[in-house]
Amino acid sequence: MRIVIGEGSCGIAAGAKKLHSALSQLGAEVGITGCIGMCYLEPIIDLYEGQDLKARLVRVQDKDAQRIVDAAKSGDLSGVEDLRISSDDESFLSKQTRIALRHCGIIDPESIDSYRAADGYKAIAKVRESMTPEEVIEEIKISGLAGRGGAGFPTWFKWNAARNSKGDEKYLICNADEGDPGAFMDRAVIESDPHSLLEGMLIAAYAIGAKRAFVYVRAEYPLAIIRLEKAIADATAAGIMGDCEIRIKAGAGAFVCGEETALIESLEGNRGMPRLKPPFPAEKGYIQKPSNINNVETFANVAWIILNGGKAFAAMGTENSKGTKVFALTGKIRRGGLVEIPMGLTLRDVIFDIGGGIRDGKKFKAVQMGGPSGGCIPESLLDTRIDYKELGATGAIMGSGGMVVMDDSTCMVNMARFFLDFTAKESCGKCVHCRIGTKRLHETLVRITEGKGKEGDVELLEELCRGIKDGALCGLGQTAPNPVLTTIRYFRDEYDAHIRQQQCPAKECVALRRFTIDPVKCRGCTMCARNCPVGAITGTVKNPHVIDQTKCIKCGACKATCKFGAIND
Amino acid sequence: MIKLTIDGVTVEVEEGTTVLAAAEKAGIEIPNLCFMKELSPYGACGICVVEVEKCPKLLRACATKATDGMVVTTNGERAMRARKLAMELLMGDHDGDCLGPCKLNCPAHTDCQKYVKEISEGRFADAVATIKETFPLPAAIGRVCPHPCEKHCRRGLVESPISIAHLKYFAADQVRADGNEHPVPVSSPTGKKVGIVGGGPAGLSAAFKLAQYGHAVTVYDQMPEMGGMLRYGIPEYRLPKSILKCETDAIAALGVKFVNNFKIGRDAQLEELRGQFDALIVANGAWKSTPMRVKGEDLQGVWGGIDFLRAVVTGQSVEIGNRVAIVGGGNTAMDACRTAVRCGAKEVYVVYRRTRKEMPAEDIEIAEAEEEGVVFKFLCTPDEILGRDGHVVGAKLQVMELGEPDERGRRKPVPVPGKFETIELDTMIIAVGQRNDPEGFELMPKTEKGTIAADPKNFETSLPGVFACGDTVNRGAGIAIAAIAQANEAALAVNAFLAGGRYEPVEPVVSERNLTADNFKDEPRIPRVKMPQRSAEERRHDFKEVNLGLTAEAAMAEAKRCLKCGCHDYADCKLIRYANLLRTDTQRLRGDFHTGYVEADLVAIERNQRKCITCNQCVRVCEQIAKKGLLGLVGRGFKTVIKPEFNDPSAIAGCRDCHLCVDNCPTGALRLLDK
Repeated sequence: MRIVIGEGSCGIAAGAKKLHSALSQLGAEVGITGCIGMCYLEPIIDLYEGQDLKARLVRVQDKDAQRIVDAAKSGDLSGVEDLRISSDDESFLSKQTRIALRHCGIIDPESIDSYRAADGYKAIAKVRESMTPEEVIEEIKISGLAGRGGAGFPTWFKWNAARNSKGDEKYLICNADEGDPGAFMDRAVIESDPHSLLEGMLIAAYAIGAKRAFVYVRAEYPLAIIRLEKAIADATAAGIMGDCEIRIKAGAGAFVCGEETALIESLEGNRGMPRLKPPFPAEKGYIQKPSNINNVETFANVAWIILNGGKAFAAMGTENSKGTKVFALTGKIRRGGLVEIPMGLTLRDVIFDIGGGIRDGKKFKAVQMGGPSGGCIPESLLDTRIDYKELGATGAIMGSGGMVVMDDSTCMVNMARFFLDFTAKESCGKCVHCRIGTKRLHETLVRITEGKGKEGDVELLEELCRGIKDGALCGLGQTAPNPVLTTIRYFRDEYDAHIRQQQCPAKECVALRRFTIDPVKCRGCTMCARNCPVGAITGTVKNPHVIDQTKCIKCGACKATCKFGAIND
Repeated sequence: MIKLTIDGVTVEVEEGTTVLAAAEKAGIEIPNLCFMKELSPYGACGICVVEVEKCPKLLRACATKATDGMVVTTNGERAMRARKLAMELLMGDHDGDCLGPCKLNCPAHTDCQKYVKEISEGRFADAVATIKETFPLPAAIGRVCPHPCEKHCRRGLVESPISIAHLKYFAADQVRADGNEHPVPVSSPTGKKVGIVGGGPAGLSAAFKLAQYGHAVTVYDQMPEMGGMLRYGIPEYRLPKSILKCETDAIAALGVKFVNNFKIGRDAQLEELRGQFDALIVANGAWKSTPMRVKGEDLQGVWGGIDFLRAVVTGQSVEIGNRVAIVGGGNTAMDACRTAVRCGAKEVYVVYRRTRKEMPAEDIEIAEAEEEGVVFKFLCTPDEILGRDGHVVGAKLQVMELGEPDERGRRKPVPVPGKFETIELDTMIIAVGQRNDPEGFELMPKTEKGTIAADPKNFETSLPGVFACGDTVNRGAGIAIAAIAQANEAALAVNAFLAGGRYEPVEPVVSERNLTADNFKDEPRIPRVKMPQRSAEERRHDFKEVNLGLTAEAAMAEAKRCLKCGCHDYADCKLIRYANLLRTDTQRLRGDFHTGYVEADLVAIERNQRKCITCNQCVRVCEQIAKKGLLGLVGRGFKTVIKPEFNDPSAIAGCRDCHLCVDNCPTGALRLLDK
């Protein structure tokens, strides 16, 4: 049997490379693939017989190498039975519908042959041989594909605008500057299936009439860059690129460069700051020439649509939202990873059926959709469908696919503070509302989480949010207030508890915690006193201990060590 | 050409015109801070946002092209809200002083920083002209003012405040001596007549202003000479009458007519004057001593503080004997006790019911009185004035102690039950306050305190065309410069009234820094100039001026200590203009703010990050007009600042001193340094 190891960044982080060399040292031939999507089970090894997956081994350790090699050689899987994925975990994949991720975790991302063997580059061939650019755009229109970067703008419309824009010199840009905290959909696609991105881009370039294209990928994705470079080199060598040249531009880590006009500025060598729109990039984009920008996931769907037809794509999803969507499921979820589902499933389906619900037996509290631009959706709205319009109505957004699940130990005020810390720091500094407004939002949230909130703070937050939404120049600023607005909308009581009672109901805000020892339960074992890092606890053996509140740094070490549950907070 | 409607005004413009330019053509100002027509639109400030019909978003007028049939609203609620918020956000991060604390805290907002600078440069006549932009009595006020300017002077956070008051009268004396005072600008005659009742600091200041506005002014005063309390309440040793006379003469020289020995109610009724003038200002001061209401107050030898001072000034024979007690702790009490010393009293006491710490008098006055031998009796108050044969012979003093603080934080004196003290006296002077005399002004409505009721902003009274200001109105007696401040406002109000309008002043919005001594810990210490004085032994025998005045060298050196807090760009600052236009609360959205301070070392341009609003105008003019590109944005988020491009100080070496950046900074963040 063939041994294939998942070597996406998550697999490598979990030890896939070490495992790979351990297996190689034992003389085994080891193939690689990209991200399978089940990050929580990495490292993952698949055993194939020809093209058939015979066994999926999960959470494999180096010490398992020998018996895996043995099993692969002999074909007898009894020696690795304990490593095989459980049927419960298998349901993580079985409930998904994979289009953008169709090759991820299956093909070898570093092999153009592997991609070709999976119908790769057949779509571009079909396009070039038998379709006019208008027909391509029409097919995309039929599919209902919308921009997967977050805004959900119809892809065909942008292509059409760029195509119809005056000028011979046109540019195609792939936005791979994935920056939302907790989002890794685009990284997984590039690392696991770089050719499908290239193919999607070649089709788009053909449709709009672009001869040059860029992939703007954040420099923090080195593996993605390496695999994409190889893919471009291989495709060029294979003569697939035609008259289109695709270059990689590594972004320097500014979140705002995910905003299309800031991205173009950066691409031109300027400081990444949004431009005024109009003119839109379709009219004046890169070096003032007509340009079209799409996100990685959008491109990754294109070849499939060409091969299977727009109708097949549009058959999936809801009235407003067609096809599938990839989500990066993270947070307090049992099964975190990459999930691709047809539009129209509910949040509950994704979080509970696929994700397996909340970890450690805790209670679901909220899910953050769309990262810093999105919002928190509470349990009462879990039956909301994955649909641009329906998600938008909650105050959150579809977003690029970040889905951060929170349990009841998460403080929603602190959550908002976290995101505003992010946007305030990532604001490009150009417009006043964003540069200073997000800073003031953050300062107010910090004050509240430190127990220094005052009556009227929530109203101040709301006022600032409204003003920033109205006044900010680009999407970053205009959406930055969303985490604050949605947490106020759904969790106002938590804000009030912080402000009025100086209490954090989730007990997450350190400044508001107060540890005390219950003298009845305390046995005087001295464990807490010995573990207190600042010597705030005093007491004699077998007598109740006391915490000096002036010294206590609220680290919780005492509570963690107490065997008698005598420490309250 | 295309046609669009802006705030209901239809305007025709060429295609490609921005909404901002179209509005300008329609005579509608859309505030903006980062727009410059020579530069490509930038859209950072968010101040120029407007609402366009059928557009769900606010649009930036600087970057939105006008289209045919467009309907634009520039001042709708939503745009105004976003605009106001942008201004509040900007001001909350704009750490600068529009005005120096000296000017801000002078009741009349005299431009102290400006005349101090002029004095530092030896431009004394310019300095006097600057002071006279506010009021006509620099030599007098410089001598008597308790100078709130100095109390707030930032130099006080370094070591001690600039000696602003002394500098003021130095300049006035110097210019008088040199005879080179600039002529006071006066507008052409309006033909309007204004009468002023009262020739004190308020009446004279109002007269001066109104004369400058071109009106024919007549000042009436009950005393033989003009000057009011400056002449009849302030002793000669503090303000020589001859000096005051020069300044009142200068007012007369502007064409102001003085009528002395004229008392309303005696020589004419108020209504008669109203008939003779187009407008009237009542500024008759507060010339009645406040009684204490203790037994024996009507005895011979018991004086009111200002009555005593006036008697001495007017040369009445004042027999005060050897033992004199003055009751009170204010400046009038100090004037009275020191005058008593000069009248030959052997023992002079000041009786005050609290302690020295609570005394409202100036520290320097208290110290000088002590030097002259005055004895302070704190924590006691007259319970009864003792008399024999109708004349005072002593006082029974109730001993007090300090109790709970009152609403102003001053601890209240309370009697210690049964504890008294008796002193022998020949004269008792009660200087516990003064009030206005309502006689002759019966027609004018009064406040609860008995003062004339006037609008606290424009000093209108309920009688049309009659205005009232100074010690006679509202809260009653205060310091001279406060009366002058009111007089200036009253003069503006009269001016507007005479033109058929109404003066409605609006408190200007200013940016103010909140600093402590810590901010100046690295500032070099330079001691404050010491005013040379006659010795206590010498001066206690006569009424000659105690202070000898500063030399020009000393004054210039002192003036050079000024920290120049007020912004060089205040007059031209677009930011503060909009802050006023939009009535921006500068403090509401205050939070963390920029504290960096950059002084370019290669070129003589100071870049002040505390004031910078990151509009990027300097960066863009340098790049797009000067074609240099020497500046750039550095950092992200709130920490974004403007620095030499790529944060490389050597980048600035290409500067060719065009200072387009300085010229186009909408606020005072950039400044050309003196070379």
